Amino acid sequence: MLIRPDREDLRIVAFALGRIFTIVAVASLLPLAWAVLGREWHPFASFLLMIGVFASLGQLGLRYRPSKVRLDWSHGMVVVALTWLAVPAIGSIPLIFSGHYGGPVDAMFDAMSGLTTTGLALVQDLDHIAPSLNFWRHLLHFLGGQGIVIAALVLFAGGGGLTLYYGEARDERILPSVRSTARFIWTVAFVHLVAGVTVLGIIAHQVLGFEWKRAFFHALMIFFAAFDTGGFAPQSTSLGYYHSGIFEFTTAVLMVAGAMSFGLHYALWRGPRRVLFKNLETRTILATVTFTMVLTMVGLGVAGIYTSVQGLTRQGFFQIISAHSGTGFSTLPASELAMWGGLAFGGMTIAMALGGMASSTAGGIKALRIGLTVKAITNQTKQLLLPEGAIVSTRYVQSGRKQLTPELAQSAMTVALLYVALYLLGAGVALGYGYGFQEALFESVSAGANVGLSVGVAGPSMPMLLKLTYMFQMWAGRLEFVAAFALLGFVYAWVKGK
Amino acid sequence: MIRLAAVVLVMALMLLLPGTALAQDGVLVPASDLLEKGALFDNVEITVEGELVGDYGFRDDGFMWTQLNDDSYARDALVDGGPRAGANVGIGVRMPSILGEGLPPVGGYRLEGPLVQLTGVWRYHDPDRGGETYLDVSELFIVDQGRRLEEGPDWVVFALGILLLATSLVMWRRNRLSPATE
Repeated sequence: MLIRPDREDLRIVAFALGRIFTIVAVASLLPLAWAVLGREWHPFASFLLMIGVFASLGQLGLRYRPSKVRLDWSHGMVVVALTWLAVPAIGSIPLIFSGHYGGPVDAMFDAMSGLTTTGLALVQDLDHIAPSLNFWRHLLHFLGGQGIVIAALVLFAGGGGLTLYYGEARDERILPSVRSTARFIWTVAFVHLVAGVTVLGIIAHQVLGFEWKRAFFHALMIFFAAFDTGGFAPQSTSLGYYHSGIFEFTTAVLMVAGAMSFGLHYALWRGPRRVLFKNLETRTILATVTFTMVLTMVGLGVAGIYTSVQGLTRQGFFQIISAHSGTGFSTLPASELAMWGGLAFGGMTIAMALGGMASSTAGGIKALRIGLTVKAITNQTKQLLLPEGAIVSTRYVQSGRKQLTPELAQSAMTVALLYVALYLLGAGVALGYGYGFQEALFESVSAGANVGLSVGVAGPSMPMLLKLTYMFQMWAGRLEFVAAFALLGFVYAWVKGK
Repeated sequence: MIRLAAVVLVMALMLLLPGTALAQDGVLVPASDLLEKGALFDNVEITVEGELVGDYGFRDDGFMWTQLNDDSYARDALVDGGPRAGANVGIGVRMPSILGEGLPPVGGYRLEGPLVQLTGVWRYHDPDRGGETYLDVSELFIVDQGRRLEEGPDWVVFALGILLLATSLVMWRRNRLSPATE
């Protein structure tokens, strides 16, 4: 029998949401301060409204302190799924009032794209937008990439941390407690923030010749979008704006750092570094990056798109790292990327679909699941070749030696198949609107895997249903389905339960 | 000979493509055509018109880089009540630093940048610059100096924000004094 959630369940969810909204309200003081410093009074008013909504909803939620019951698995998943719907909805308020969006849906599309670290954008006239609004768009990448719920875990004590942590698609605890793991994740982010912004800022000033203030503005925006594998950029021409190999390379390093699991960051910081190359996920991602890069380079070479090896290497390398890490920066206009047919298109689409590492800021199927799936298939093949009754046992290294169980293999394959279904969903809707197969598939994979590269389908004039489909893809893909399904189950139980 | 043939081909194309016109120093090519059919204009001298936006990046090699936007916002800014017309349409431009010195402030928030006509050679996937695409400018003509734009606060939004913040402060105080369970 389906049990309808009772008032205590709702109180638990409301209280947890109250904490998270309060944290976001505090984080939103940053763009407000930016608007004050820049004397940008129009965005200032809309930031004030947004903070007011977050703060009042936060305090309203905190009124419903649960009596005894602690946050369990299903509550946590529902909280995470609702957070990732509510924060973009409320976070779109300054964007709506900016005048740079066709309507509330377009503004929420960008806020969802920002928070889920996708990078597809419906903003109009980005090159004249207020810097505080640009900062808010990029800050959404940072909040989403590092995990707003994780931030709440660091700042608030209380039960239910584990379920919230897993709800945000983090697969492994690095340290014994979830709070210390969350604290480590934010420490890694802040260390990279200081180093990344300093290096990019110096390059922007010394090499690109930007004024100091503008150099650090660009550095901060690009850092947020690169390390959190987001893909928004402060100018409409994305990374193509900078016309600099060294700036692109530094950005690529940050993209790779963002696509690495925080477990691997921990190993690099404190653990034995030799583990790095034994790690199943590292080996898998090295193999898939090499494969997709070769595919793309050969495709570009055969098509004769670049006439020099240097051009082919630089452009191919950057685009593939951007696609595979799930960032979505491009040094090319969408119209040019749309012309990459054949193997180059295949390489880019596969790279986007596979994505980065588990427990990273990247989206997509993830290298760990690919590695486990390949190992499981290899096991099955070995089993067929061996005498009946023979047992094939497989171990792999991922935060220590582990046994590949049938349940684990099944779980990895199920999520991988769900991603394929998600990619096909968006492609199907776009095909229904008359877009070509190649562009429909590319854009759908880009949305579902939270990448953000575009061949021109995603734009203010695309059909409303397609906008909503891409938003759903970004949300479900970022949460890796579990929290999304939990919310659907919660709502269904509320309607049909007894 | 090949260069001459390319020029003739592009000139013929100009007559067929919509939106092209004759500028002061040659054929005016819309930036949208350069983005969609860039290869056709490779190594050909063209003229583009639009607003300079973003930054003026003066580099040590004696060149200045910036971005030229050829879209409706270049002439009719959103802040100034211009219509929403989709994403920006821009290209990268490089010019000798001496050409860029003394230019009016570059376009950005509350700033309409200078509207310029730039003549130069279109470098498509330039092998000498790692496959970058840009306009190598040799001549610059300022059509309009650009101007500062005003954008005041939205007082209704401001008042709503204050009201909600005040409400949340009252609720916060109540929560601290008597944490409710209902």
